[in-house]
Amino acid sequence: MKESRKKLTRREFLRSAAVFATAMAATACSTPTPQVIRETVEVEKEVTKIVEGTPVVEKVIETQVIEKVVTATPEPEAPKEEAPAVLGTFPRSETLIARQLTGRVGSPDNMNLWVGWKWQDRGLQNLADEPLWSVDFATGNIVNGLADGDPTYSADFIECTIPLRKGVAWNDGEPFTAADVVFTVETLMGFDGFGAHSFFVDNVASVTAVDDYTVKFVLNQPNSRFHTTFLDRWGCTRIMPKHIFEKEADPVQFTFNPYVGCGPYKLHSYDPQGFWTAWERREDWDKSPTGIMYGEPQPKYIILQAFDTEGAQILAQLQHQLDVAELSADGLKALLAQSKTSRAYQPTFPFVVNNDPCITGILFNTARPPFDNVDVRWALVLAIDIVEYTSIAVDSTGTLSPVHVPHLGPYPKDYIAPMQEWLKSFTIDVGDGETFAPYDPTASQRVADYARSRGYVFPDTPEFIEQAFGLGWYKYAPEIAEKLLVKNGFSKDADGKWLLPDGTPWRISFMHGTVLSNHDARNGAAAVQQWKKFGIEAEEYITAEGDGLGATGDFDVSGAWPAQEPWGAGPDLYRVLDRWNSAYKKPLGERTNGIYSRWSSDEMDAIIKELRETDPFNTEAVIAVGTKGLQEAVKNMPGVPTYGYIGFVGWDEYFWTNWPGSENAYNEPYTHWPNFKYFTPFLKATGK
Amino acid sequence: MILGGCLARPGFSQISEVVAVTFFKRYLIPRLISYVLVIWLGITVVFFIPRLTPTDPVMRMIGEMRGRGSTMEPGTMDDIIADLTEMYGLEGSWLDQYWAFWGRLFRGDFGVSFFQFPTRVNQLIFTAMPWTLGLLLTTTVITTIFGNLIGGVAGYYARKGWSRTLDAVAMVVRPLPYYIFAFALLVIFAGLVVRWFPTAGGASLGALPTFTWSYIKDVLWHSTLPALSLSILGGAVTFQTMKLIVQNVNAESFVQYAKLGGVTESRIVGKYVIRNALLPQITGLALGLGQIFSGALITEIVFSYPGMGMLLYNAVIRGDYNLIMGITLFSIVGITTAILVVDLTYPLFDPRVRYY
Repeated sequence: MKESRKKLTRREFLRSAAVFATAMAATACSTPTPQVIRETVEVEKEVTKIVEGTPVVEKVIETQVIEKVVTATPEPEAPKEEAPAVLGTFPRSETLIARQLTGRVGSPDNMNLWVGWKWQDRGLQNLADEPLWSVDFATGNIVNGLADGDPTYSADFIECTIPLRKGVAWNDGEPFTAADVVFTVETLMGFDGFGAHSFFVDNVASVTAVDDYTVKFVLNQPNSRFHTTFLDRWGCTRIMPKHIFEKEADPVQFTFNPYVGCGPYKLHSYDPQGFWTAWERREDWDKSPTGIMYGEPQPKYIILQAFDTEGAQILAQLQHQLDVAELSADGLKALLAQSKTSRAYQPTFPFVVNNDPCITGILFNTARPPFDNVDVRWALVLAIDIVEYTSIAVDSTGTLSPVHVPHLGPYPKDYIAPMQEWLKSFTIDVGDGETFAPYDPTASQRVADYARSRGYVFPDTPEFIEQAFGLGWYKYAPEIAEKLLVKNGFSKDADGKWLLPDGTPWRISFMHGTVLSNHDARNGAAAVQQWKKFGIEAEEYITAEGDGLGATGDFDVSGAWPAQEPWGAGPDLYRVLDRWNSAYKKPLGERTNGIYSRWSSDEMDAIIKELRETDPFNTEAVIAVGTKGLQEAVKNMPGVPTYGYIGFVGWDEYFWTNWPGSENAYNEPYTHWPNFKYFTPFLKATGK
Repeated sequence: MILGGCLARPGFSQISEVVAVTFFKRYLIPRLISYVLVIWLGITVVFFIPRLTPTDPVMRMIGEMRGRGSTMEPGTMDDIIADLTEMYGLEGSWLDQYWAFWGRLFRGDFGVSFFQFPTRVNQLIFTAMPWTLGLLLTTTVITTIFGNLIGGVAGYYARKGWSRTLDAVAMVVRPLPYYIFAFALLVIFAGLVVRWFPTAGGASLGALPTFTWSYIKDVLWHSTLPALSLSILGGAVTFQTMKLIVQNVNAESFVQYAKLGGVTESRIVGKYVIRNALLPQITGLALGLGQIFSGALITEIVFSYPGMGMLLYNAVIRGDYNLIMGITLFSIVGITTAILVVDLTYPLFDPRVRYY
């Protein structure tokens, strides 16, 4: 049978294609018709709301109908923004999905977080548990959870009494009482498999329930900061439900599944492979401290999901299957460029979360020459151009701090701003009777100017510059650095490279971890580049064993935090200063218990002793002693504070809005932090 | 059959007895001894090597807890280190630990995972293993069957246009870095172009393992992209290898003689060419099956897919000795067993191979 289909010749095909293309171009180029449309817009208004006697400024969204003339733009039609109404088995509009920071849970069946590592950000600490107190570094406040207020100490700091909140119940309905706290401490002391066993055995002589809502500790020795073991700062001693644990013969082996806590959410389900954990709002959420303080949590379900790659996170958020992503700097840029509904913590540059309570920087091993010499340490500080440094490290997005606490929460007001005059007047001895004032109060402005010169757009107000870039840092003074080194016997060879006093080349090995997007590595890259420019043979030493090498002092310089992280709330700096306590210091080769710089001084020991004997709730006295401690650290510079820890959060506003961004920082912004539960009542569903 | 058909013939009882003795003495027993020795040596090496590295599981755990912000009082650090050392069973000399390890192993117990304490290693492995076996067994079998079949036919008809086209496609696909290829699949089929497949996970959020069609369908849907990425790249390699071997065999004189002798083409392809080309591919398959127990790390990372790869990776970087031992034991036993089985079954595929 003969085939009757007509064959298309090459010439006919080309002709048809040309006609089709011309028609398409003509359609695209035709003038669009202007038209008047009615549009419903959302307008943000600030209102003040009273929550538990505390005024809270909150932005509310009202809808208004407006008319405007629009001209249709003949853009190629973009794919419609759509998201499935049900994701897995969860109604999407009632479900919030956040990335789990610590990754896939290795032992998903075991929720006994008093033993070993249990991926506590899978929802255990951030949704299901309530601590006695927790730190909110965004507001600088300490939030009362199960506690009903501050603890009180006896004058000799031997007794500590804690008031407990009434009306709280565990998520299985059992009331929470002082018996739970007493049981927890006694159980931790009774079994050496618990992580906190040693601490409580060393510190606690007895614990008793004075009544159902008061607990009294008698301590083995004076300890004015004993209560901080219950202060949640991404980890603390949590309270066990007595009615569950008392049935277990071996509470160390107990899997505690499902988790029973006093938080507003209870376990719904989890992936046996550890990729996700789902939580459901308690029906009696009003019996959780979160509910009592802030009202009903809005998402009915919250899922913490692990992603092994950043790309998967971005793809998931682009499909509205992930409300909270935590990315790298480049990942956040990619997300914001592609998503119409995603936002960052800050609405403009620098976009990043700049209020994490850690100060990043450079740590010197002061037990190893030449870093045992304060002149050498200061020379290395003055060899750094902080504008270039932060550009290399974090694309100029860092908030500088000249002292050993980050520029966030209470610290600018309590310490960094009041210390400005002292910083300006502080001088170092350069030799030959010459002194030099290293502080530069314009450093933050210089960083901002540089960022602007590169095309970044952001407000030009002093308030914004301070919030985003800090209050100042140290001068770039290589000529002074040179004088300090020459004063100490260093010299330069014919190529301009620095030699040690014994005439050998000065080589600095900067140790940091293997994840190059982490801030130890970012500081390492920037410092090495700056010191090379100054003429030192500096190099990065990348290792996964930084903690062990740091503890035994087998390094020159590292990217570990230059000072112990502060609480992030309240003025007390005991947590920061105590790590410089000479009592913790061990010789090189032995594992030190203090900070890995192994620096201490008699002056700092005296300051720590004074702070230990100061009532932690006497704000004025605590700030006075804390300021002395920071001054002593600046004088000796055992580690160089550079910029505060930066996080890169991407929030999708497709299903949920009113995130605690920088313009409305009513709560800390991280979903992996214990305080995540405290912002769930303020989230608003879009109704999609 | 295994002995080349000799045992089956009547009237050769004495000969067959000699052959059997020879088989056991010269072939089976030495191989069994070397099988046991290799396993013992492998396990011993894997026991000591992690202990020779600077990774200290106790410090790793403390570092992890400190790094994540958990409060740790400096005064109690030494006590915590002592407690962890005791709980992990790392007290005593390496020799003490070695004997204790064999004692546990003979009871089928790998001990507890250090990092996921107090979860037992057995539990971790048996939770992850089904996913790895499900994905990698399937893709290995698919890759082997289709890669060899298509590669064999393409090699025989190497001058045909379709064969050259397939070869060109394989030539382009094969050198692609797996990570890039897998991520491209993810972006194309689960993201920016079409959204046919999920971006992450082994099953949907909220879906709990049950033996129901809806759950099985869900798992299959989630495993499509990981399986596709492994099958396409793995298949391209198998295809090209097989094609080259077949081209070589095709040039052999016995094949030319068969063609001249009027043997049918399908018989030449099936019985003369592909069968002769299969031997190295079978060895490759056996080794591939043995290595399955280590998982497919990059696949698991790109697709956030459950399995043994990530388990082993985390065990290595955290110095989780017991978990490393548990997983590598499966690999060592798997690979050595596969080699033994291949050794014993070669004559099935190639009658020229004899044990005597």
